[in-house]
Amino acid sequence: MLTVSNLRKEFDTIVAVDGVSLKVNRGEVFGLLGPNGAGKTTTIRTVLNIIKPDAGTIMFDGHPFNTETWNLIGYLPEERGLYRKSKVLNTIVYFATLKGVDPKEARRIAHYWLERFGVVDRAQAKVDELSKGNQQKIQLIICLLHRPQLLVLDEPFSGFDPVNQILLKDILLDIRKQNTAIIFSTHQMEQVEKMCDNICLIDTGRPVLSGSLRHIKQQYGKNSIHIDFEGDGSFLKSLPMVKKANVYQNFCELELHDIRQSGELLAKMNGHLLIRRYEIVEPSLNSIFLDMVGHQSQLASAK
Amino acid sequence: MKKTLAIAKWEFLEKVRSKAFIISLVVMPVLMVGFAILPGILASKPDNRVYTIGVIDETRELVGPLAKKLDEKYHVENDLPNYIIQNLWMGGDLNTVRHDAVQMVAEGKIDGFLYIPAEVMIKGTVEYRAENVSNFRIIERFSRTIEETITEKKLIAKGVDPSLVGSLRSRIEVRSLKVSGSGEEKESGFLQTFFGAYIFIMMLLFMVLSSGQLLIRSVVEEKTNRVMEVLLSSCSASDLMVGKILGLSGLGLFQIGIWTLIGIALSLQLGTNIIAVEYLWLMMIYFVLGYLLYAAIFVGAGSPVTTEQEAQQITTYVSMTLVFPFVLAVSAMQNPDSLLIKVLSFIPLMTPSFMLLRISVQLPPLWEIVGSLVLLAVSVVAVMWGAGRIFRVAILAYGKRPTFPEIFRMLRTP
Repeated sequence: MLTVSNLRKEFDTIVAVDGVSLKVNRGEVFGLLGPNGAGKTTTIRTVLNIIKPDAGTIMFDGHPFNTETWNLIGYLPEERGLYRKSKVLNTIVYFATLKGVDPKEARRIAHYWLERFGVVDRAQAKVDELSKGNQQKIQLIICLLHRPQLLVLDEPFSGFDPVNQILLKDILLDIRKQNTAIIFSTHQMEQVEKMCDNICLIDTGRPVLSGSLRHIKQQYGKNSIHIDFEGDGSFLKSLPMVKKANVYQNFCELELHDIRQSGELLAKMNGHLLIRRYEIVEPSLNSIFLDMVGHQSQLASAK
Repeated sequence: MKKTLAIAKWEFLEKVRSKAFIISLVVMPVLMVGFAILPGILASKPDNRVYTIGVIDETRELVGPLAKKLDEKYHVENDLPNYIIQNLWMGGDLNTVRHDAVQMVAEGKIDGFLYIPAEVMIKGTVEYRAENVSNFRIIERFSRTIEETITEKKLIAKGVDPSLVGSLRSRIEVRSLKVSGSGEEKESGFLQTFFGAYIFIMMLLFMVLSSGQLLIRSVVEEKTNRVMEVLLSSCSASDLMVGKILGLSGLGLFQIGIWTLIGIALSLQLGTNIIAVEYLWLMMIYFVLGYLLYAAIFVGAGSPVTTEQEAQQITTYVSMTLVFPFVLAVSAMQNPDSLLIKVLSFIPLMTPSFMLLRISVQLPPLWEIVGSLVLLAVSVVAVMWGAGRIFRVAILAYGKRPTFPEIFRMLRTP
């Protein structure tokens, strides 16, 4: 669906995006990851033709952006907002007509989505009478209604309670089944792990890691140990065989210099901690993220 | 094109439905009538009421001729006399009569009374008492007529032939006739000419200000709520800009249209011809071009703005250039051929206002019309082009307002 190669965008003196390449297929959820200010939003804006790239090509099914493309894309920006004084249904229909949907048809589909999101009773309300979560639902409806073939969602889950997160997850999986390509930009690694097929990790405008999620995890090997415990686990960081450690209150993720030392580790913990679970696994995306972006040491020292 | 229209429709409908619009639709005509039309109507309307005025004449010889003269001179519809004179003093105690007269005014039996003292011939003062003493017309007419009566009396007393006295006071009335291009003579008053242009410029001013302000507001709103990004992932920046201009101009025209209907209905009702406009088509060209120029300026100046306060400032600055011609309006009316007015007519920002004024007074020479129109059209195209470039970049600039060098860079980027 979407092929981006060697994208570059500069603002005055800063290079916001440099050499980013992506390939997103239909029926795939693609995770665009990166720390704050890495260039995710700029990449998205460039892909959506909101701003022009300085170099690189962006192809939709092998064609450059044209007037038809606007109707094929749907975008949920990270910063949320709608016309506050307008009515919900009118707003949805307006944005749908901008995507080339016939107003009558738009009304019908809007009704379906309002029902699915459980806000059908608010159709005639003014936007600013809605709760934040409901406003976010309206925005999602706006970017879904015209059945886009490429859906770009910037932090779609943030701001939703767990119930609505599940609702949205189910809807997104449905849409994906309808052969839509979904680009998913987020900081929430658990969401990515659950939903994405391929990812691209950007840091300071450059891609540092890309490929299929499974492949990336395999590449990192099974050298991670997850431990659920009770007790004071802070000493784990200073053990000689531990290379890296993320120690939380009741959980830690460790990386050893040599995974064969795991028995030794277990022995060291004996008597200090009550161990509920001990598992050798692939590293979590979170730890890969921290590793790649190189903030791990800072985060660890902050703990 | 379809998207442009969809945007225009949305901007139009959402604003038309807003409370602020409905209020302004009602409030503005009231103010307009108050400021512009009412004085014109009052000035040109004959006084249709019959006044009953009492007279206490100590000289006993002025009341008769005064009543006769007023009866000759002033009439209202159906040939009724404008003033009915009631002689209040036939003899008796003067103070009682004056006291009674005051009572009559208070009771509304008479509208006022005139006290002419015995020494009026020497001192030249009379008194007029009424509930409403600020009615200049009555005071002016009465004092003039009393003056005439006294003058005649004095002349006749000196032995001048009464028929000669009559011809001495022939009144001169100036009727203004406007010569139009074809050499035809048309009667038109200064007020009518003035209001013709005045209303046009008022409409231009109003449309520029109201739709300009709405334009900036809607851009600022879309920037603040980040709807801008969703819009720009659906259509091009120029679709958005043109759609907004179209929709909000439509709104302005709709508003003016409604007011014009109210105005026409009102003037038909009152039987007055408020507007005497010739060369309407030419004025319309200036109007449309002028509007487009200002709309483009608003787009260019307004799109980098990020807050409501800044939007307000921009509106104020732009409206200054529009209001400026009003200051010079009277002098332009009196002397449309002065060099200053000619020069100002060629500054594109002021061309519409001044040309509208000048056309209604006297059609300017052809070369000036063609020249100013070409200049205006060229600047419309140039400013639109520049505004489009600024708009495209500036609508995505959040947080801080771009500096002038940055805006200059926006103009250069292809």
